[in-house]
Order: sequence, then C-alpha cells, then structure tokens
Amino acid sequence: MKLHAATSRPGLRHETPQRANFSCALEDLIETLTRGNPTEVKVILASVALALAVYQLVLISIGYGKVRLPFLGAPPAAQAHRAVGDTIAVVLVVVALMCVGYFGFEDDATLHMVAAIALLGVLALKIVVVRRWHAMGRFLPALGISVWLLLALTWLTSAGDFLAGS
Amino acid sequence: MPEERSHTRQVIGSLVVALLIVVAAVAVVTAKFGPTSAAEQEAVEERLEQREERLEERRELQEERREEP
Repeated sequence: MKLHAATSRPGLRHETPQRANFSCALEDLIETLTRGNPTEVKVILASVALALAVYQLVLISIGYGKVRLPFLGAPPAAQAHRAVGDTIAVVLVVVALMCVGYFGFEDDATLHMVAAIALLGVLALKIVVVRRWHAMGRFLPALGISVWLLLALTWLTSAGDFLAGS
Repeated sequence: MPEERSHTRQVIGSLVVALLIVVAAVAVVTAKFGPTSAAEQEAVEERLEQREERLEERRELQEERREEP
C-alpha cells in the first residue's frame, strides 16, 4: 500500500509537553473511533462527500431551473440541496479534524493542505451568504462551483492518490 | 394541500437518492481497499496465532504420548 503524506502516519513534531499530550490523546481518540483504520475511514468519508457533491450539482441545476424533470420540481430540489449540503459540511469538518488531529501538517502535502483550507474557507463563506448575507446571493453559483472544484482537488490530492495506490 | 404532499414526497425522494449514493460510495471504496484494513489484518494475525497454538498443543500431546510406556 502506497503511503502519502496526507494519509500516512504523522512524523515527529516539535511541540510543548502539554500540546504533545493533547496531540497524543487526539490521535488515540481517532485511532479508537476508527478501530485502527483512520486513513481508510477518512478516505471513505471524503469519497462520500465528493459523491454527494456531484449529486448536489444535479439538484441545484434543477433548483435553478436549468434542468427540468417531470418528477422533481425546483423548490423540492433546492430544499434537498440545502439538506444534503448541511450533511456534506458536517462530513467535511469531521474529515478536516481527523486530518489535522491525526496526520498533522506535512511539508510534502502542500497542495492538499492549501486546497483543503481554501475549501473550508469558501464553504464557510457560502454558508454565511446562504444563511445571513443574502445581498451576496448572486455569487452563490460561483461559490458553489468553487466549493465543488476545491473538494475535487482536495480529494484527488489525498483520497484519490491513496485509492490509486491501494 | 395535495401540492404540499407532492413537495414533501419529492424532497424525501431526493434524500433517499442521496442515501443510496452514500451507500454506493461506501461500498465501492470499501471494496477497493480489500482485506488490507488494520482490523482485517489483526483478524488474520489472530487466526494465525490460534493455529500455531493448536499445532503446539498437538505436538506437546504427541510428545507426552511417546514418553508414556
């Protein structure tokens, strides 16, 4: 099995004793919750998020009236898009916590880290626009496409790479 | 009222499709991993250990029988 920086076990980190204890406790927690398979669980969760994100594109195309289906109207599609989007956001936060808590920040996973941080930032902005900042609603399609592209890039540079090597 | 029912039905249908996508994604990725997960490997190691223990027990029993007059 090929090891990748973003999916391999963390190396030594220079930390204070308290921080090292916290890191160890977090790593143990992740290891216990995943029954010793943190990489596999992370890859599965990230793949689920990507698969749902593809479905999100279909739903929002119907929601905006770009695609018309006889059995699904625009309002239900938009409502389902919101519900699935909330789920994806939770999954992505869990994956990000697992990634940082267990694997840490590695020098040879720069593209993955940059894409992931940008993804979380754009996703947070999109949530703010949807829930509060309605005046910026016209940018939602651009934000949605950016989230999708960044998710695909983040997945490709970690989970996709891991699956290609397994 | 019937319109509202149809709306709810369509939302539920869309969410069921999302659930099916999740199941499919988990099945495909898990199948791709194969028997390489840590849990699987631990199970294999445990089975091998048990087999070795059984073989050792048999050997001991055979030796005891040989030693008996």
